[in-house]
This record gives sequence, structure tokens and C-alpha cells, in this order.
Amino acid sequence: MSRRTLAIAVAALMLVTGGLFAVVHGQAPAGEYKIGVIEPLTGPLASEGKRHLEGYEIVRDMINERGGVMGKKLVFAVADAPDPTAAASEANRLITREGVKILTGTFSSRLCGAASEAAARHNVIYWETSCVDPRLNKRGLKTVFRTEIDATGFGWYNVEFIAKHLAHRFGKKPNELKIAFLSEDSSYGQGVTESARLRAKQEFGMTEVAAEYYNWTTINDFTPIIVKFKQLAPDVVHHIGFTSDSPLFWRQAREQNFLFKALVHAGAVGYGSPDFGKALGADANGPFALLEPGPGFRLDSLRPEGQKLEREFREAVQKRTGSHPLGGHQLAGPGLWVLKLVLDHAKSDDPDKFRAATMSLDLPVGSMMNGWGVKFDELGQNSNARVQHYMLQWQNGQLVTVWPEEFTTHRAKWIPLGAWDQRK
Amino acid sequence: MPSPSVSAIPQLLVSTILLGGIYALIAVGLTLIFGVMRVVNFAHGEFVMLGMYLAFWAFTFLGLDPYVMLFIALPVFFVAGLASYRLVMRPVIHASHNVQIFTTVGLSIALQNVALVLWTGDFRFVRTEYYSVVVRLGTTAFNISQIAAFAVAVAFTAALFAFMRWSYTGRVMRATAQDRQAAGLMGIDTDRVYALTWAIGIVCVGVAGVLLAPLYQVYPTVGLQFVLIAYVVVVLGGLGDMAGAVLGSLIVAAVEVVGSYVIGTAWKEVLYLLLFIAILLVRPAGLFGQRGAEQLGT
Repeated sequence: MSRRTLAIAVAALMLVTGGLFAVVHGQAPAGEYKIGVIEPLTGPLASEGKRHLEGYEIVRDMINERGGVMGKKLVFAVADAPDPTAAASEANRLITREGVKILTGTFSSRLCGAASEAAARHNVIYWETSCVDPRLNKRGLKTVFRTEIDATGFGWYNVEFIAKHLAHRFGKKPNELKIAFLSEDSSYGQGVTESARLRAKQEFGMTEVAAEYYNWTTINDFTPIIVKFKQLAPDVVHHIGFTSDSPLFWRQAREQNFLFKALVHAGAVGYGSPDFGKALGADANGPFALLEPGPGFRLDSLRPEGQKLEREFREAVQKRTGSHPLGGHQLAGPGLWVLKLVLDHAKSDDPDKFRAATMSLDLPVGSMMNGWGVKFDELGQNSNARVQHYMLQWQNGQLVTVWPEEFTTHRAKWIPLGAWDQRK
Repeated sequence: MPSPSVSAIPQLLVSTILLGGIYALIAVGLTLIFGVMRVVNFAHGEFVMLGMYLAFWAFTFLGLDPYVMLFIALPVFFVAGLASYRLVMRPVIHASHNVQIFTTVGLSIALQNVALVLWTGDFRFVRTEYYSVVVRLGTTAFNISQIAAFAVAVAFTAALFAFMRWSYTGRVMRATAQDRQAAGLMGIDTDRVYALTWAIGIVCVGVAGVLLAPLYQVYPTVGLQFVLIAYVVVVLGGLGDMAGAVLGSLIVAAVEVVGSYVIGTAWKEVLYLLLFIAILLVRPAGLFGQRGAEQLGT
């Protein structure tokens, strides 16, 4: 055997044994069931990704305390995806190297499209618990499911709140309201904003005075937008922002003494993130954020089974983090719980059986954590009507639940918002 | 869409100057490093991030005001600059541009991830007692921290300009920039010049970070928010030219502010990059740049 042939043979042997090792390495030991979890653990969404993963881990432990899934202990293969390219490649890696049959994640609308495409190519189940990009379930991918409301649902709720809860307290009819839309330009911001614009105009006849988009990773100054908005004098600013830009807008609006009657947001980032309050302290008072339930939420408004689950979930989060569940926890955890329900029912991760089990789930609003219900449509989307959401408001350093009022002990304040120094 | 109002002009002008000051603060160090060393520092934004974290931790644990921290940041970043030069840049200083680019990109990724591991991805903010103090002058309003950032940007640029123009060390640095080999033959220790240049550049950007901490949230990738604009500014002004960097900063800020107001914020990057292309078509070396600067001294 020549030296060259020997070298090739050794290399081939190494590849084969390496491949075998990879396959063996990828299989979960007997008694364990492994799923892939893709999160943005580095990059600008790292803080939210970490919180989201924490939510998964808390509910994974709750599930395992109750016997796991399909009689096996649930374990995770975690992957970091700071951008869409990484989301796709990590999805491929988890499927081919770790051998997972179910992928979940990804917190962000920037990531879910790429990760779910990769999963669909392998005929692997993709279980999204947070991203709200409305296009996710509209690509005809039969193995893609989402437990969270989509962006059109966010837009629907926000306009509902403005028209039915705020307008009369401003002394106006909905069709007399002037609304300025401001949004970051990813599929999350665009999805929510376009849906809200459509409903505000068509259903309630509100006057849209502006619709501005910006790139949240490069915006360094909102002053020109604020100067423009001041001229337009909107009653309501509908702002979909991320965690770095929302405090900047709020602070600069204050500097410019831009007075409006309310600011409404949707989602667990930006005004919906605890970092907003940390950055601004008492100056954070006032804005609304559509989210999962926060402090003030009445547990007794849920069905008995929902109360029990929600209480256990809160205790588990409190034990692990020392705080009330935050947005990331409340999206990931309950989403994973629904996955457990489906797997318990399907008793298989075969895509067809899994899909059939998913479609057969029918839980009314109030039976799950967050007060959610479950009913998936043919597109794999948990019905927006079942994914009950709530309006929270920043009041004295924390986000508290203020609407719908039958679900909470707190009430919205500063309607309309007064002068900046009088929101104490 | 409102019709542009004359009454908005004073505020837009003030915003342009203050935003330009922030960009200049970051760009000056970048242009110095390129001007003398011919190295495009892709880790520049990460030193902004380190400056912001330094201000945040000093404020949180020691109660030190960022403006006091400024004086401590000068020696800290000078030493950090010398150390990073010695460990990372010195081995590649005579290598090809490709190697240098990969090295600084690698440094950038390493610094981002060190920050992530040490301080997590949480968003943090230096909320001083005066963070919301607003100065109102006529119809304009501006934040006091922005004025401080602008003033320091002007002072730093002027000081660096004077240093480069009139000091002996500055002349040595310019000689090295013009022809590395000839400078060496004249007895100049070019390695020391590069170390000093890198360290001064890092001091500029570190100080910029400290000054930005009361204005923007701090997180491991915050540098990316500013660094693309800093590259545009430096190329627009002319690689290696301080005054060009300041003028470039003001031009980019003006396009951003006026474009956002008149057309829409979604267009701001399109507008300043179109202007960037247009200027480079007419003046390929930038507004103040020397044609072929990137080849000098190599």
C-alpha cells in the first residue's frame, strides 16, 4: 500500500468513525426524549433569548416532574442563533447531528422563518412559541406550528384597546382619533403595524397622521421624527420598538416635550421588556404594552385547570428567578406545555400523527397558563382568539395588568397622559 | 406627512450638530489609526462598548459619574490599547490587508463574546441624576449629555489635530504614515509609533464610549449601532484626516436628520449612502483625503 493510499484510508476511517461518533452522540439515551431549542443567545437579542430559554427550562422541569413526554424524560439540545443564517444552519445541525425530530424556539420574527424552512426541508416538526411574523404559517408548510398569537392578532388587540378603552376617556369617538404609527422595520414591527393600520382605518375610521419605519439596530436619534410628530399632534402613538430604541424614543419625546394622549406597544421587547423600566425608572410611567398577564392579574378569572397550571408556573418561575414571570418566560413555557399535551396525545413524533393530534386539541380560553386556550387552524396557527392577551401599563417601575378590566385588580392611569413631570 | 415647517429648522440644526458630534467622537480614533497604520480597525465599535461598560460599572458599583470616569478612562484605555497592540496587532502589522481585516474582525467577535459571558446580554443604562436635564434655547431643546459629548468631540479633534501638526511625536507619526521604510531608515522606531497610534486611537474611542453611556443603552453588540456610520464618515472625510472626519460626521448627521424629517426615517441609510457614493465618484479619496492614501507607506 502506497503512502498516499494509506493516508486516504486513514482519513476515510477517521471520517467514518467520526460520523459514527456523531450519530451515537446525537441519539438521546434510552429513557430520554430530546428536542432542539434554537435561541438568540448572542447578538442584540441575547438578553431576550436567554429569558426565553429560561422559560423553556422551567417548564421542562415541570413536565419532567410529571413523568416527561411519551413516558420519557424531556431533554434539550440547545443552539445559539443570533441571525437568520445561523438559525438555518443550527436547525440543520440539530436535525442531522443531534437527531432531533422536533425543533422549537426562536423568540424572534427575524429567526423563525429561516429555522422553520430548514426544519420543513427535513420533514421535521417546527414548534414556534414566540415569533409573530404573520407569514410563518402561510407558506404551506405542514410541519410548522405556532402557539403564540401572530402579529395580526397584536394589531387587532391594540386597536381594540384604543377604540374601546381609550377613546371615550379622551372624550372622543374612535373616528375622531388621530393616530401616528412608528415601528422598527422587521417582520415583527411591520406585521403588527400594518394589521393595526388596516383595522384602525377600515373598522373605526381613525385618522392616520403618520406611518414611519426605522431600522432599530442603527437608529441613534428620534428627534427629527418627534419634531414631525409634534406638528401632526396625534392623540395616540402606536410604537412597535425593540429594547434599545424604545427608551431612546421615550426619553427624546420627553426632552422635546412631545405631548400625546397615549402610547401603545405590543410584544415582550421594547416597552414590554423589564429593561425599559430599568433604563428610565419613574420616568417610564405611562406607556401600554400588550403582553401576557402581569401583576394584578386575577387568577380566579381562569378556569380551575388554568388556575392550577398558572399558579404552579408562577411558583416555578419565582423559585428560579425570584420574579413574576416575564414576557420571554410566558411565551416559551406555556408553548412547551402545549407541545407536551400534543405529544401525550399523539404518542409519536411522526409528522402525520403529530399533526392530527395538534388539530384535535381543543381547550377553551382560560384553561392554560396565561389564560390561553388551544385550537389550531389548518395553517398550524393556534387561533388568535384562543391566545388571550392583556394590556399592561408601566406604573411606578413595573408593568401591571390593566385591561381587560375583568381580568385585573389594577386600573389604567394617566388617561390622557398629562405633562411629563406629572406622571407620578 | 406634514409639509416641512420653517419653525422646525432650529431644532433640526441643533440635532444635526449634536448627532454629528457623537459620530465625530467615534470616527476620530478610527481615522487616526487608519491614517498612520493603514489598518481598518473592525473592532472599533467594541472599544466603544467597553467604554460604555466601564462607565456603567464604575457608576453602579463606585457611584462614579461618567464625567469623572472620563479622566480614569484615559489611562485605562491607553494601557488597553498598548496591550491589544502588543498581543493582537503587532504580529500582523506588516501582513497583508486581508490578514489585518480578519484579525480585527476576530478581535471584534472575541470582545463581543467576552462581554456577553462576563456581563450577559442584558440592556443596561447609566441613569445619572441629570440624565433627563434638558436645555431649552428658543424653540430648541437638547440633552445636556449630548452637549458634553459634542464638546469633548470638538476638544479631542482639536487636540489631536494640534498634536499631529505641531508636536515632535506627531511629526514622527506623520512621517511614518507617509513612508514606513524611509521613516525607519531615518531612525524612527516605527513599532513604537504604531503602538502609540493604536493606543491613542483606542483612548479616543474608549472615551467616546464613556460619553455615550448616559445617552444609549449598554449591551455587548452596541458598537455595531455606531460603527458602520463611523466607517462611512471616515471614508467620506478622507481616510486619515481629522478635520475630514468631523466634517464627514456633520454631513452624515445632516442627511440623517433632514432626510428623516422630510422624507422618512426608513430612507436615512439610503440617503447618506447615496451621498457617500456620489462624493466618492467625484472625489475618490474623500473630501480631504490624499489620493492613494491607502497605499502610502506600505
